[in-house]
Amino acid sequence: MSIQDKVTINQLPTGVPGLDEIMGGGLPEFSFNIIAGAPGSGKTTLAHQFVFANASPERPALYFTVLGESSIKMLRYQQQYKFFDPAKLPGSIRFINLSQVVLEKDLGAVLEEITKEVTKANPAVVVVDSFRTMVRKPQSDMDLQSFIQRLALFLASWQATTFLIGEYAEDELRDNPIFTVADGLLWLRQTNERNSIVRKLQIIKLRGQASVPGLHTFRITDAGVQAFSRTFGLTGHLKDPPSHRRLCFGIPELDKMLGGGVREGDSVLVAGSSGTGKSVLATQFIAEGIRQGEPGIVAVFEERPQAYAERASTLGLDLETPQKDGKLTILYLRPLDLSVDETMHSILDAVQKIGARRLVIDSLAGFEMALSPGFRADFRESLYRMIFALTGIGVTILSTVEVDESFTEFPFSTYSISFLTDDIIRLRYVSIDGQLRKIMVVIKMRGGNHAKDIREYEITSKGVVILGKRLTEYQGLISGIPVHSDRSDSNEEPSQDTGIERRT
Amino acid sequence: MTTFPEMRYLARCLLAYEAVASKTSEPAESAALRVYEKLRQSLGAFAGVAGFQSLAFRALTQAKSEAPGLFAVQVAADGSLQGLGEFGPQLVEFEPQLGSDKDQASEGGVILIARLLGLLLVFLGEALTLRLVQSVWPNAAFDDHNSEVRRKA
Repeated sequence: MSIQDKVTINQLPTGVPGLDEIMGGGLPEFSFNIIAGAPGSGKTTLAHQFVFANASPERPALYFTVLGESSIKMLRYQQQYKFFDPAKLPGSIRFINLSQVVLEKDLGAVLEEITKEVTKANPAVVVVDSFRTMVRKPQSDMDLQSFIQRLALFLASWQATTFLIGEYAEDELRDNPIFTVADGLLWLRQTNERNSIVRKLQIIKLRGQASVPGLHTFRITDAGVQAFSRTFGLTGHLKDPPSHRRLCFGIPELDKMLGGGVREGDSVLVAGSSGTGKSVLATQFIAEGIRQGEPGIVAVFEERPQAYAERASTLGLDLETPQKDGKLTILYLRPLDLSVDETMHSILDAVQKIGARRLVIDSLAGFEMALSPGFRADFRESLYRMIFALTGIGVTILSTVEVDESFTEFPFSTYSISFLTDDIIRLRYVSIDGQLRKIMVVIKMRGGNHAKDIREYEITSKGVVILGKRLTEYQGLISGIPVHSDRSDSNEEPSQDTGIERRT
Repeated sequence: MTTFPEMRYLARCLLAYEAVASKTSEPAESAALRVYEKLRQSLGAFAGVAGFQSLAFRALTQAKSEAPGLFAVQVAADGSLQGLGEFGPQLVEFEPQLGSDKDQASEGGVILIARLLGLLLVFLGEALTLRLVQSVWPNAAFDDHNSEVRRKA
């Protein structure tokens, strides 16, 4: 042992999926923590998950209840959660009610009672629920400060990891001594956004280790609290070195326009109005990946997986077999009130489960609609985090986006997210010779050459098929209302940039 | 209104256990009182004095409808029972056809405890109720009975 050896702070599992990642690995052992938030925000449930994850017969958890929810009702409700293990009561988890002491005596007596029980049980975990009701009686500031100080010191000395639960308002953060003494402060928020509820948690303070800053979405289900880190659980994952591989669509002419395909790990945006074949192109991209031995995920928001697969079969693409073989997962993410983080969690689970290399998000508009209104405001920022995280682990993402067809403009996306994408393929209608035909152009390829050609295509029973050569006999094609030009050099080969990286 | 048969069975086991454990020939209501007191200590620590008192008051009210001889029994503010000593004679006075004082006293105690356990069963479910009972009587040999209870519930 060297004089320079630092103490190692053990990290305890929180028992809350996703929260360990947010806390920087887990909860520091012997820390004195506050869980604060409004009623119904999930404070007690979170504490119960921690208790059930850490209590043992040798080092039990003491759960002090005070005024408020009775222990019997608390257990009645909490046992509905999947993490609740009745076998842990009362040997490993002991509930002790302090209401009488709190009502009839002073804080000194409360401390004495806690001291007595802790000394007797030698617990690893101590929870006081609700601490706020314990100190609600008028006390002098000195009494309160002294009580908190002595309680914190005592529990730390007894090597207990502690949670004090309280209904605090955020404006109380400044002057309350409890927040000064605490090693960790978890704040749970619940806000109404139009007709939906948005739950977010924040680690306001955590001594001894770096937590992930910011507000993290969480959800309370029958499994308890589940948190979704803003970093999507990918903290510490190094970005894969740039790959030189090109991923094909299986559409020879398009792949040629893309200089051989999209670069692995790119984010590709396929933009176009309704009916231009964005989903068809996306389906061909994923099917070609499977054909090349690259498992894929399709996140659909506007149709169910079965319908998606059936539509693919009309193009001669079999998506049923790879699903059975574990090479393809079609995720249907339609429930309202989703957060991007939750969606990402589902996608990442699927990516890791089948080792996916390609991901299709069909479509961004559907994705946005599936989100709670409160999350839609952050959609662009959330997309940025999501794309950065996924491409960082080498997944190639193809997103479709519907754009309003305008005959005066040529927008790439209604979300102003072009900067999030490495490659943009634009599909649009064009009026030619009394027909509404379709054209395709590669707008941007970050890190590679691509054709500048505007190509006509059709959607056939074999999917997207690019017709002929580039359209040279028309001018103003991207306006949608081209004019016929006299010049016709349709025999020219598709042109490529020559070594100049295009950045749009 | 009937007591849950399973809880009545468990209550009878607890009273029998306490009667044997005390190794005395005390009246049956003493065994019931001991069972009650042990539950009061355990549940009081867990649910608080007021929490236990509320449950006990409800259990006693239910039990009185089945055993009128319990009418003089009261639950004090601290959750303790008062008036259980007069239980036997009064029961006989009201229901002389039902048997001896001792038998009736014993049955009244069983009903009261069963009602208390029944409330726990309603609120906490079988698994937690049985675990709480086992924690109070860790050495009691009613495992087989509990299995029986578990099967029936």
